[in-house]
Amino acid sequence: MNKTKVPFQIPAHLHAASPAELRQGERDNVKLMVLDPLTGQRRHTNFRDIINTFQAGDVLVLNQSRTIPSSLHATGARGDVEVRLARKIDKHRFEVLLVGNSYEEEENIYFQNGILATVEGKGSEHPLQVLNFKHGGISLMEFIYEHGSPIYYEYINDPWPLSKYQTVFSSIPGSIEMTSAGRAFTWRILSSLISKGVHICYVTLHTSLSYYGNNKWPTPSNHPELYSIPRETVTTVNVAKAEGRKVIAVGTTVVRALESAVSEGRLTPQKSVPTHLYINGNYSLEITDALLTGFHEPEASHLDLLKAFINEDILLKAYNEALKQEYLWHEFGDMNLIMTGVS
Amino acid sequence: MKKTIMITGGSKGLGKSLALGFAKQQHRIAICARGEHDLRTVKEQAETLGAEVVALKADISDATDVEKFVSIVEDHFGSVDVLINNASIFGPGPKQHLDYTDETFSNVLKVNIMNPFLVTKRVLPGMIANRSGSVINLTSEAGRTGFAEWGAYGISKFAVEGMTETWASEVAEYDIRMNMVDPGEMDTAMHSRAVPDCDYDLAAPEERLDVFFYLASEQSNKHNGERFEAATFINKAGVQSE
Repeated sequence: MNKTKVPFQIPAHLHAASPAELRQGERDNVKLMVLDPLTGQRRHTNFRDIINTFQAGDVLVLNQSRTIPSSLHATGARGDVEVRLARKIDKHRFEVLLVGNSYEEEENIYFQNGILATVEGKGSEHPLQVLNFKHGGISLMEFIYEHGSPIYYEYINDPWPLSKYQTVFSSIPGSIEMTSAGRAFTWRILSSLISKGVHICYVTLHTSLSYYGNNKWPTPSNHPELYSIPRETVTTVNVAKAEGRKVIAVGTTVVRALESAVSEGRLTPQKSVPTHLYINGNYSLEITDALLTGFHEPEASHLDLLKAFINEDILLKAYNEALKQEYLWHEFGDMNLIMTGVS
Repeated sequence: MKKTIMITGGSKGLGKSLALGFAKQQHRIAICARGEHDLRTVKEQAETLGAEVVALKADISDATDVEKFVSIVEDHFGSVDVLINNASIFGPGPKQHLDYTDETFSNVLKVNIMNPFLVTKRVLPGMIANRSGSVINLTSEAGRTGFAEWGAYGISKFAVEGMTETWASEVAEYDIRMNMVDPGEMDTAMHSRAVPDCDYDLAAPEERLDVFFYLASEQSNKHNGERFEAATFINKAGVQSE
């Protein structure tokens, strides 16, 4: 778990409970705080202004992973349980978090339509467990899509459909939670950036759970996530680095993917491999120059990752100002661009 | 090169012929339809031809079913290279506009317009990320000429033609191509419904596949936003299928 020097409190009214397009008409109509990590200078603007913030030659890296419906309901000898998928292991097995009731190894739980799963053992870290489903492959995925829903944390009051938990550019399914840093982008903004000369690249990193409940948070080094980096992205990023251009990660997931794939200072292609990389204040970033991200809770490991970009004191001052300016937190909230020379 | 070919309405008529035609070429096949029995039959036939097939029951005028179908295909095959928006309904058969019920008119438009919109919107991000893809929308002569008693079907195809042209110009910057095919009159259940007393010979759907093979191949990279007629394709373009 991340430990900030001065934990901050997020007032209830700053937990974004609904998608931006329902609050403000369009998904890109959110606030943007542009923060210079060196000087601490801050500029408060609208997300659409991001078109003017980036320069020709900059590389914007997006995570194309798509959210799957990860919350399922089951029952068994110990009563009802919410099964939160955490990570697909293979055709039959998922790492899961069981919420509401404890089930031990070798116990069965039963889903709708006669789908059965057995608790096989412990997961990568407590309290995750491994479930082995009797069905596998396409039929298991079909069941998950027909009966699953997004994971709703306590600040969400309405059961938004899965479509609200997607970025417009997401494609390959596999993320347990939305890769939310890219949520505000529209194709119109991406098209404007391309016209300006900004290079758009993709990586895939399938997110796992970000919170275990009961004040328990994942430890990144015990929290593997599968990622891929296509050759086109490798070429574009390495050329940009050689030319001194900025590489901007859209989301902490992209930072994790890029930094996991470095060899001798250069980005390398990867295909569906796990990363255990833990990026914190002690980590020296090799590829990523800037980060577009949301606003994170004080305990989240995401905030720890931000310390690789920015001094903790400067970050906390900026967060306190964001609280005063009523920025909204979480996956449906406002955005923060941490980038030198643009505030 | 082996590609993933996604065909909506793949259980009968032209959709079935397309699935089997691309299966013969050893492409990966992804098909959906509302009727499970016919779908399973096509899946088995395509597998017999040596193709790997994902076949799922889905109502693709419903966004939730579209999400399920496309996501499972992407999860299984990794990408969708060619999308053929084939699924559509004719409606109640020959009928004057004045005799259409509001609900029937609305339903034909919803199914025939929302199908290609929803599936294309879901598939395009993957194609854009891969900087490669071909989308083929099915139209009809009734999509540019208003024929008496072809009612909502013809109107829906006017919309599909407009949607194809609009979208084609928007996706051109991503190296994606989106074209449309008028397959012409064929011996299908839909034609029997549209022309119940047909007294002339009709082509079999298998005779109209070459234009689809062409648009699925790299040979057609330069075509975007165009309208092809399957019945005259070879004579006009002079291009052999791959």
